[in-house]
Amino acid sequence: MAEDKLRLGALELTSRLIHGTGKFPSSGVLAAAISGSGAEMITLAVRRLHLDGDHKSELEALDLAAYTVLPNTAGATTAAEAVRLARLARAAGLSNFIKIEVVGDPMTLLPDPIATLDATQELVADGFTVMPYCSDDVSLCLRLAAAGATAVMPGAAPIGSTMGVLNPFNIRAIIERCPVPTIVDAGLGSPGDATRVMEWGAAGVLVNTGIAYARDPAAMAAAFAAAVSAGRSAFLAGLAEHRPAGGYGASSPEEGVPAALVPAIR
Amino acid sequence: MSQAWVGPSQSEVGRARRAQLRIARLYFVTDDATPEESLPALIRDVVAGGVEMVQLRRKGVDVAELAELARGCRTICHDQGALFLIDDHVELAAAVGADGVHIGQTDLGPIEARAQLGADALIGLSTHSSEQVLRAANQPVDYLSAGPVHATPTKPGRPAVGFEHVTAAAMRSNLPVVAIGGLGRGTAAAAVSAGADIVAVVRALSQAPDPKTVAQDLKAELEAARSWVRLQVNGEERKCPPGASVLDFLERVGVAQDGIVIERNGEILRAVDLGKTELTSGDELELVHLVGGGKDDG
Repeated sequence: MAEDKLRLGALELTSRLIHGTGKFPSSGVLAAAISGSGAEMITLAVRRLHLDGDHKSELEALDLAAYTVLPNTAGATTAAEAVRLARLARAAGLSNFIKIEVVGDPMTLLPDPIATLDATQELVADGFTVMPYCSDDVSLCLRLAAAGATAVMPGAAPIGSTMGVLNPFNIRAIIERCPVPTIVDAGLGSPGDATRVMEWGAAGVLVNTGIAYARDPAAMAAAFAAAVSAGRSAFLAGLAEHRPAGGYGASSPEEGVPAALVPAIR
Repeated sequence: MSQAWVGPSQSEVGRARRAQLRIARLYFVTDDATPEESLPALIRDVVAGGVEMVQLRRKGVDVAELAELARGCRTICHDQGALFLIDDHVELAAAVGADGVHIGQTDLGPIEARAQLGADALIGLSTHSSEQVLRAANQPVDYLSAGPVHATPTKPGRPAVGFEHVTAAAMRSNLPVVAIGGLGRGTAAAAVSAGADIVAVVRALSQAPDPKTVAQDLKAELEAARSWVRLQVNGEERKCPPGASVLDFLERVGVAQDGIVIERNGEILRAVDLGKTELTSGDELELVHLVGGGKDDG
């Protein structure tokens, strides 16, 4: 397993869990969760500085240098806004990575696929390592990969919904068809959701709300880490294929059942 | 940070008054030492000389007696396009159709005054300390006065706060700042350099042998003074002294440069350029940093 790394451009990660940093009750809880998850990559957003009052950050308990920062363009509703936020994020000097997020519908927070593709093209041309958060659509993911995305990040369910994988067929199709790593983002609510997509061969998952809103975020972060690891191991081990009922036969030998019990079973 | 108060139900009248306030430079506050019968002619002269705002201030006079004088002064001001405000007496301001009222820290509060006068009236508030400026932040106020800059017989016993308080008010509030207290020719420009938008004078005009000429001189002095630069910073109006660089501005608002990305008029500034980039009026700055999550995160 030592060789099983997640490759994102020039970067190699051992942990396939990307950790979100929003909505945590405190900086200390956030730091404990990230630490408990073993995540090596964390997301950050670009926001205006509050000019008045204290400038205390929810990130103060974190050593940002210990992680690869994946800034996002959350808040953008157009490709131009996403491009602008990406450039501001890069100017902060922490990372050349960008997770494109362009919300197309404020009600569901589902992404705008066309704006996402436009922003991907522009930011790839500008030298960013681009990881677009996108709809769970295989054609779109192929287009994003062709446009130079380093990975695609289809949503399992609407952001923050914790509804799990709403369209397993689509997510599996993307994993199988896409030439770049598929990192399942958004909507994963339980460690079981993460295991499921990892078993299918997802390259990684991004989790935020499922950890941040757990009763014990640090313990849940560790549970997600174990789940991602279990799912990855299962994928590498090769799942037994589904067969029609009884296809592989019973697990226990059918021969040699003591005769006296046979009538009772039947 | 005080924001300009915008009435929820402001009409054309309120909009016109606030537009006048925004461009006003010279404010005449009447002197108790001026005999009542001389006031109309004095106001006519100083407004003709360039005064854009007049405040009728009479201490220890019965409100009923003041009404007639106030109506006369209002007519003179309005005929010549100047704003007319009344000190302290909120009901009187409403009754005589003044453009607004100026209240002190011990008078009726801005919220009560606003409730009585409605959205269209201008309300000015005296401040003598930074705390009072900050406290005005969420009050329905249109301008702040800052003073007394110098000790003045108009306000016996009140210690002078100097130009430092004018600067503090300009830094801490987006509202127009009126410097007041012993100001006149030779000191008016210094008040503008310290951050005042408007300079209020009392004796400089009330005791002038030729008030119109002095008003003209003061107006010329104010117009020649280099006023503070007005910026939009993260969508808020901000002010800074002329010649200030982006780095100077950050230091003044107490923001550490570390981890902050600054965009000026759509262009990201390199850290090495912050000290070299001089701010000019109308500049739009965005100050951003990386924070946890964002509402849209997975």
